[in-house]
Amino acid sequence: MLEQYKKEHSQSVNQYIIVQLDGTVVESDDVIFPKIVGKNISTIHPFFESIHDALKENNKRHIFSCIHLTNTNNQTIITDVIIKTFDGKKLPLIVILDLTVHYNNYQTTAQVRNESVINSQILELKNEYLQEKEAFKNTFIANFSHELRDPLTGILTFSDILKKTNLSDEQLNYLKVIDSSSNYLKQLIEDILDISKIEAGKLELVIKPFNIRELLEDIKNVFTIKAQQKDLELITNFNDNLPEIIGGDALRLRQVLSNLLENAIKFTEVGTITFNVSLNQIRAQKASIHFQIIDTGIGIPKEKTEDIFTSFTQLNNAQVYKGAGLGLAIAKHLVSLTHSKISVDSTVGEGSTFSTNINFVLDHSYKNIPKTKEKTSRPKSDKKYSILLVEDSEITQLSILKILASKGNYFLDIVTKGEDVIPRIENSEFDLVLMDIKLPNSFGDEITKLIRKMPEREHKKVPVIALTARVMKDDLKRYKKAGINDVIKKPFNEDALMSKIEEYLK
Amino acid sequence: MKISKKIVLIGHFGVGKSSLIRRFVEDTFSEDYKVTIGVHVLKKEVTIPETNDDITLVIWDLEGNDDITNTRPSYLIGTNGFLYVFDMTRPTTYEKLEFDLNYIKERYPNIPMRVIGNKKDLVTNEFIKQNKDVFGRFVDFYTSAKSGKNVDDVFSNLAQALLKEAKK
Repeated sequence: MLEQYKKEHSQSVNQYIIVQLDGTVVESDDVIFPKIVGKNISTIHPFFESIHDALKENNKRHIFSCIHLTNTNNQTIITDVIIKTFDGKKLPLIVILDLTVHYNNYQTTAQVRNESVINSQILELKNEYLQEKEAFKNTFIANFSHELRDPLTGILTFSDILKKTNLSDEQLNYLKVIDSSSNYLKQLIEDILDISKIEAGKLELVIKPFNIRELLEDIKNVFTIKAQQKDLELITNFNDNLPEIIGGDALRLRQVLSNLLENAIKFTEVGTITFNVSLNQIRAQKASIHFQIIDTGIGIPKEKTEDIFTSFTQLNNAQVYKGAGLGLAIAKHLVSLTHSKISVDSTVGEGSTFSTNINFVLDHSYKNIPKTKEKTSRPKSDKKYSILLVEDSEITQLSILKILASKGNYFLDIVTKGEDVIPRIENSEFDLVLMDIKLPNSFGDEITKLIRKMPEREHKKVPVIALTARVMKDDLKRYKKAGINDVIKKPFNEDALMSKIEEYLK
Repeated sequence: MKISKKIVLIGHFGVGKSSLIRRFVEDTFSEDYKVTIGVHVLKKEVTIPETNDDITLVIWDLEGNDDITNTRPSYLIGTNGFLYVFDMTRPTTYEKLEFDLNYIKERYPNIPMRVIGNKKDLVTNEFIKQNKDVFGRFVDFYTSAKSGKNVDDVFSNLAQALLKEAKK
């Protein structure tokens, strides 16, 4: 009975073929390939043509899995083919097992798996390509901005110098325009560099204790004047319960709040700007502070509130309001570094409210920190100081020369090539070295390493201050490791240059 | 002289082995990728013009595998020639090229083999130059199954080598 059931219900379709050693079919049960007796097995399908030699082997069993054959109805069948040879007394046997259903299921699985692997490999490659493109863009921006800094330093310095000469009112007015334009350009470069740092993931917060009330008062003073220049009123509400000293990145907080206030003033023609700061809560040595800036400006359509935080975006107002549209994008990224968000609530024609809650560190030891940094020493006014300037940019050379010459107590020696630095120091006694970092064929940090290895104590201990636009965290680490004492960021003005120089002169 | 030789196309999945065969045998091409499982066997007769010899190539299109050591040995029984195919647009398909070629050469020392960088239509000559450390050392033909570039030449070149072997 079992044999009967098997016959009725078995779905397997197998063909048994006995062939001679030359491939001629002797017997066949004709299940898949009918009427083949007398024909050579090679004529059934090219597959058998290439396994012809296996028929001549003795006592072998070969299994060929998943072989695609074409049956007499021209349909593809997927089979396992077994070839069994004997000791020469018996003829070889070929068994064809039709496993089309089974292999078709496998085909579907393999298709999905392979497509998924190939797609992920292609995505990975695209991602690598995009990252390379992004890195190229960031390097380009960094280099381009760097190139802009030297001429900008020249403009800023010589504007300062020019202000101190006898100028007519008309000339002074022209100078103000040059001053304001170059400061705007400087801000643009700073913003573009910040965005490229943010996109490269290289911008990190520097957490230090600072006095938030002093910072807020400072911001208030700056923006009260800016608001008055547009006939607007800046209303400030700084809650009394704000802590005094907190831990955070004061520079970046100032940047966020300044960008938001700048934005509020820019897009408000009539009315007020309200700047509210209050303490949310204090928990586990953390103070959450709420910042809110409300304007009565043009407002933002609801569907566009996300777009305003995208780099280089201004909502159809680019013709009316100047700016690269970077301020809010930078503010958003900086706030996100504190794991917070900036929210915006706005009504077109009525105004906008920008709010954010930022967490700061609250440490009792901060109470001992002095309110303002006091300068430790000042150079003696009657002493003459000798400074070596290592700089290839003629504009920067001239700027520093003019500033130091106006002070009357500095000798300036200039070298433009890295290889001239050590011989010059060996033959002179300098009180300080101002070192450009990117020199033709050499780098200022590498030259400083050589200075620090000089045999004479007075040579190797000379303070070295870098003059550079490259001030990312990794750069600063590298300068410190090379023995550079401090950095003056390009573009600089007279105050920035002199305060650093005076700090290191005894 | 009329002979029949088995040649095997081997390489990672998705590199275009089936497309090369389809281009050579049927002179067609499809953008759709259909995974090969197991083996497809096709044949084509080639006449070598210089000698007027006919050779029947029985072409085994093996399923792609990212690890050559997993290739089923039964598929390689009686192989007379190899075509190793990789996809120039996907580095994973040629990262282990040297290992794969040595693996075949060690097991089938006297069998002619040609190495093919496929999908030439998707890469520039500049890209090939940039990768000359790999491509320059190993590749015999840059092909495009899509455009047909060099496809006949590959098979014809291997066929000539097989004929030369057969005449020894």
